[in-house]
Amino acid sequence: MIQEIALGLLTSSVAVEGTSRLIVDIAMYFGLFVIVAMALNFQYGNAGIPNMGCAVQVIIGGFTVSAITTRLIFTLAGNAGVEILPWTSDYDWVYNSPVNVNIVNSWLSGKPLFCISMLLFTIAINLVLGAVIGWLISLPAIRLRATYLMIVLITMADASQIFGRNITWISGGTLGLFIPDIFKWYSGDRTIVMAIITLLIGLISFFIFRTMLNSPYGRLMRAIRENEVTVGSVGKNVTGIRRNILMFASGITAISGALIGFYFSYVVEANYQRALWTYWPWLMLILGGPGNNAGTFLGCALVTALRRIIIVNKWFLQEVFFFPIAYFEQILLGVLLIAVIIFRPNGIIPEKLLYIPGVNYRKLVDEEVVVDWRSASKSRGASSGISGIFRTLGGKKEEAGD
Amino acid sequence: MLIPAIWIAALTYASELTLLSMGFTLTYLTAKIPNFAHGTYAGIGIYVSYTFSKILGFSPYWGFPFSFVIGGLISILIYFLVIGVLQRLGGGAIVLTISTLAIQIFLAGATNIYAFWLRAKYSTYASLFMLKDFDFKLGDFPGIFIVSMGLTVSCVILLHYMLTRTKIGVAMRATAEDPELASVLGININQVQVFSWFLTGGMASLAGSMIPLWFMSTPTTGAMMITPIMAGSLLGGFENVYGAVIGGLAVGVSEIMLTYWGSVILGAWVGEYRPLIPMIFLVIILLIEPRGLQGVWEKIIASDSGQSILKSLGLLKEEPVT
Repeated sequence: MIQEIALGLLTSSVAVEGTSRLIVDIAMYFGLFVIVAMALNFQYGNAGIPNMGCAVQVIIGGFTVSAITTRLIFTLAGNAGVEILPWTSDYDWVYNSPVNVNIVNSWLSGKPLFCISMLLFTIAINLVLGAVIGWLISLPAIRLRATYLMIVLITMADASQIFGRNITWISGGTLGLFIPDIFKWYSGDRTIVMAIITLLIGLISFFIFRTMLNSPYGRLMRAIRENEVTVGSVGKNVTGIRRNILMFASGITAISGALIGFYFSYVVEANYQRALWTYWPWLMLILGGPGNNAGTFLGCALVTALRRIIIVNKWFLQEVFFFPIAYFEQILLGVLLIAVIIFRPNGIIPEKLLYIPGVNYRKLVDEEVVVDWRSASKSRGASSGISGIFRTLGGKKEEAGD
Repeated sequence: MLIPAIWIAALTYASELTLLSMGFTLTYLTAKIPNFAHGTYAGIGIYVSYTFSKILGFSPYWGFPFSFVIGGLISILIYFLVIGVLQRLGGGAIVLTISTLAIQIFLAGATNIYAFWLRAKYSTYASLFMLKDFDFKLGDFPGIFIVSMGLTVSCVILLHYMLTRTKIGVAMRATAEDPELASVLGININQVQVFSWFLTGGMASLAGSMIPLWFMSTPTTGAMMITPIMAGSLLGGFENVYGAVIGGLAVGVSEIMLTYWGSVILGAWVGEYRPLIPMIFLVIILLIEPRGLQGVWEKIIASDSGQSILKSLGLLKEEPVT
């Protein structure tokens, strides 16, 4: 039955509606948030970097699509002889945007290869720019306490939105900017292709992250999370590794910002709010279980489905409440976060032992456990936190970042 | 007028920010976490003022004591329901900070809902307002200028007296230094924590209830103030209440005056970038001297040339023990 639905969705030439629309929507958002949450899991769950600036990284993706890809397509279309309205000045850039995009779309409809190369080009640029922005946001506080990093990253998310709002040539300011439809050559509903591509990119990044976590570098990351002083004392550059991780994860996170720009064919800074792109991924991560990709998938699926169902049904819910439903969402987000932190600090699926080929790790841990009763932890959080495995191995442990 | 209006605005804003920064630093000292919900307490104070003036018909100044108590009670409730529970469970600094973010989201949502409830019940537009009409005039000055400066100065003096002369203040300082040692000496840490959360929440809410008397206020005004609060606290050294007084004043005055001068010199577009000024402060402090003014002061005292300068100024009375 699922196959029939999938086939029907793929081959239908009209816009999807109703329940199918909801399914496509949930799939798209699941794909987007899985990329963000997995990168976050890579940073916080495994390397212990509390990245509260996911929104900055995502907004870079959106800005790339609007400021670079759209300009490039306009230039190439102009060179190919398509008559588009002037777009070089700030005023024309915003006010001619819908007309220009419409003209360019009809030109793009016969060029599938060009469109796909544009998508790949955007992703490549995103990886580079995301890494650059990761390096920039790591500058002030990467060597300091973890809470300083959180403070700086949270404020930077607001700063990026202010720039997007006031600099017109990036994303059209408050009016937003239309994006050429790079799936014009596909006869059916473009959102389905977009959702499939997003899920595919999510899958690819999952395999990349998994490979990295199971490599020696992944073990180094977890060691930094557990005790950076020890890692530094055996000659590893802790600050450099942290910066590299932040840069790499920034590049991957930026892709999701570009994909949502293509999905809506529209980029506006208000779409990249801090609450949506930082706090909800954090809830997904903590709900599913940090340090664990399966948990991230589960948390992502649960939270995305909940959010999309609330949004799609908001006209029915609106009759019950006297206030906009967005504030109910805020309350829900706050309560869920606190409840998960208090009642399930390890998430739904707790972190599993590392996979090291050729080493019977579980046996190693079982033998070493509880060496000295005085160093055994007294409280629940300390004995079974996200990092219980190494703590039992290494005895007493200082809080990372303090 | 003796003082230009822009300076009155800057000093009013700076004194409100000083109160908030002091409370933020006090929370950081006793609970060891940056409380991201601190700005949102100010949002609660804003709506206490609104309720007192527009709904109940009193002067907003009558609402100040209630604002202090309400903010303090909400803060205690947060301590009992979330922070205290997590501290007992052994959550680390990062987990506690995330929980304060969650509280901030929750309280911001609740403030918005309260504004919409006022709209539904009393049909007033409570989402964007200013209470300048309810203010009084003292000579040439608006009342809020005198009141905010006076309240902040008296709060600083009271806090200094409390921290140095009273038993609970000394207990608070001991708890901030070393909680385990303090509890060995017979200090009830839980009581001290509850008192400090009440004090910080009350001070933040009090500062918030002064905001709408001069500035345009929305339900998110309080939550947006968290960046200047943290910048002020960080400039003062993050772990020093007196540093936070200087830091809050400096960040508050420079936020408004730099925006004003920028818009005079460069054009009106600078006004849009006003929230960036505290962020620039944050980044520059972290890049140059992460321990803020306190770190600078300690460096001066430690260096020979700094000591000779201080001696010639007569500021250094005795030889510091090295």
